[in-house]
Amino acid sequence: MKKVVVRPERCVGCMQCMIACAVAHSRAGTLLGAIAESPLPKPRVHVGASISGRGFPNRCRHCDPAPCMAACLPGAISRDEATDSVLVDPARCIDCASCAMACPFGVIRFHEQAFAPPDKEVALKCDNCISRQEEGKVPACVEACKTGALVFAEPDEIQAKRTAEVAQAMVEGGSQPVGLPEGLELTWAIKRATAEMNRR
Amino acid sequence: MADKKFASYTIVPDSQLMLAKAEREQVETVWDRYAAQQPHCGFCELGLSCRNCMMGPCRIDPFGEGPQKGVCGADADIIVARNLGRMIAAGAASHSDHGRDLVEVLASVGEGKAPGYKITDGAKLRQVAAEFGIETNGKDEPAIARALAKAMAEDYGTAKGRLTFLSRVPAKRRELWEKLGIAPRGIDREVTEMMHRTHMGVDNDWVSILLHGLRTALSDGWGGSMIATEVSDILFGTPQPVEGWVNLGVLKADHVNIIVHGHNPVVSETITAACSSAEMLELAKKAGAKGINLVGLCCTGNELLMRHGIPMAGNHLSSELALITGAVEMMIVDYQCIMPAISDVAACYHTLMISTSDKAKFPGMEHVEFHPDNALEQAMGLVRKAIENFSRRDPNRLSIPVEPQKLVSGLSVEAILKALGGDAGPLLEAIKAGKIRGAVGIVGCNNPRIRQDYAHVGLTKRLIAADVLVLDTGCVSVATARAGLKTAEALELAGPGLKEVCSALGIPPVLHVGSCVDNTRILVLVAALANALGCDISDLPVAGSAPEWYSEKAVAIGAYFVASGVTTHLGVMPPVGGSMNVVKLLTEGLTDVVGAKFIVEPDPNKTAQMLIAHIEAKRAALGLEARV
Repeated sequence: MKKVVVRPERCVGCMQCMIACAVAHSRAGTLLGAIAESPLPKPRVHVGASISGRGFPNRCRHCDPAPCMAACLPGAISRDEATDSVLVDPARCIDCASCAMACPFGVIRFHEQAFAPPDKEVALKCDNCISRQEEGKVPACVEACKTGALVFAEPDEIQAKRTAEVAQAMVEGGSQPVGLPEGLELTWAIKRATAEMNRR
Repeated sequence: MADKKFASYTIVPDSQLMLAKAEREQVETVWDRYAAQQPHCGFCELGLSCRNCMMGPCRIDPFGEGPQKGVCGADADIIVARNLGRMIAAGAASHSDHGRDLVEVLASVGEGKAPGYKITDGAKLRQVAAEFGIETNGKDEPAIARALAKAMAEDYGTAKGRLTFLSRVPAKRRELWEKLGIAPRGIDREVTEMMHRTHMGVDNDWVSILLHGLRTALSDGWGGSMIATEVSDILFGTPQPVEGWVNLGVLKADHVNIIVHGHNPVVSETITAACSSAEMLELAKKAGAKGINLVGLCCTGNELLMRHGIPMAGNHLSSELALITGAVEMMIVDYQCIMPAISDVAACYHTLMISTSDKAKFPGMEHVEFHPDNALEQAMGLVRKAIENFSRRDPNRLSIPVEPQKLVSGLSVEAILKALGGDAGPLLEAIKAGKIRGAVGIVGCNNPRIRQDYAHVGLTKRLIAADVLVLDTGCVSVATARAGLKTAEALELAGPGLKEVCSALGIPPVLHVGSCVDNTRILVLVAALANALGCDISDLPVAGSAPEWYSEKAVAIGAYFVASGVTTHLGVMPPVGGSMNVVKLLTEGLTDVVGAKFIVEPDPNKTAQMLIAHIEAKRAALGLEARV
């Protein structure tokens, strides 16, 4: 089954995924409408920064077994078999944060939401854009990502592509790791060197 | 005893202590905002995002799978080149507009409509007027000033077709520019043409855009900035060696402290006059202060230090920290490099914030507009207000954590030549003999990307130890002065040749040449050296470096140095990584075009090795003794 696969070496930290995710989970469904809503829609994917300032799109892994699901006291977290998604039912959530304590990835946040009981903070996490998928669309974060850091594909196909890249590099490119575009490599190497220099 | 927690942010003890105070008092600084911005958007860092039209905004995927062209069809090379071109235009515009304001003051002085301003260096007025083809015999200073201001204003436009100061450029270099089609024609013209060329659907050849970028930068370096320096010298005096003090320790607990921040001496010189007036000193004493302590930040501080020995509180990243001392009654700003957040910091203390330029308004500041006809009056009013604010200072939140550091400043080209005995001969002899291997101009800003002053001080120390003379301007000059490198004692850190020559001349191994527009003093000096040796600027054993730059102005400066033949190092990578074509042209190809190139390297130790190797190679090519 197709899933959202993260290729971290392609993340440039632009945070378009976060904006698209929040807009996709708004009532209005457009950027201008979304930023005017109350409660403000929130992203469920979060781009973190490394020490040298490089980005990483941190999204829910929809683990199996899911620690959040095991920890949830009122049983608000369940699995949708069709899309292999771990989902929070905001109506059952009691805002105890046991799920966030159990989650090793830090992807669960707590906010008021448009599609939850009003005036109450509830657990918010990636729902694999299940309603978009039902309409035949790809998840919003994938649609927004222009570098292919987030793709919607069969995981085995992505790993096969990577195997081919590694094979090419190992057989014909010496023992170098799979290369990045030269200008990007240069720019990131300078950022890394600068960050190390600052900590000397 | 500096606070080690902030040691990765800055090497400066007073900054570390003020950052600790900021944390205790919950005052947000530039470093907090920088952390909150991480990660920076990689499209923008690579120069691969374009917002020039509403068919976009567009971005190019550096990995080759997403879009490779903008909606209009511009590829990575074009988008990166256009973005860099606009950075140069913005930087050049800033410097040149600063020059324009000075030309207007010169005109007003000539018309007798600028009380508080006068011609201080009449000899320079006549000399520069002669360069502009103005007959000075039998004319009084106001008449010459009027004529010169008018002639300089014409350099800004379209009709003249050629910048006057190109006559200062060695012939070989001028001819090269003519051949390349990059000799600057008009100061405003080149900036305007860059905005035109980078509009959608105009210049879509990345080499063509970058060549015009060099021309635009040259219209700044040999145009707007040079005019700014020369007119400032004419109005306020050509700097001569002067002693000064630097770091936050220049603030005084028992004085009314006023800081001037920004760039144009048009404002800061009148504040200086007001602060030293008998009337204000009397008022200050009545308010319980021992006197009025005027100090500077950034370039306007550099201008006052160079001409009057007014102390410097700090450089760019120190601007908020100076207020966090709790010691400042008033900060007066004009334009450029003033962070809008500074009013938020001031609001945490008793400090009054004043904006003075119609071009530069800020949130949280009181606007007191300065023009040539009212400047002195406005200045007096502000100083009075600052004195009234003295009683509102909270002694419990006062912390001036260090002792000030002494320095020597004021090394204009005129002062350097005077120290050499009247002409560049002794310097050339020292270079030929190898006692001084060459010279590097270290210029530019601070940037929270790099630990404050680490690269400036590290590079300077390595270079002077290798007998390379260092000239510096802007924020760099504060950094090296703060580290004690502009004193006679610093000669102990210099190599034997540099130490011998500088001791004999009575100058430190690191020369403070001025503010950022005064980078043109370095241009004048290298042009003079090239003419004396009968070669082009690109043959000289010299280099430039901007180790911690942040601003668009720095991009323009780097570009005009390279276009003038001086290979220039950058410690921060400009947003060009999205196009290897552009990267290769700037860091390799330009050598074949203008005889100089850019080097990008964050580490000051590696930078020193590269610049020393560059200098030695130039020495060898000139037939001088060289360590290659």
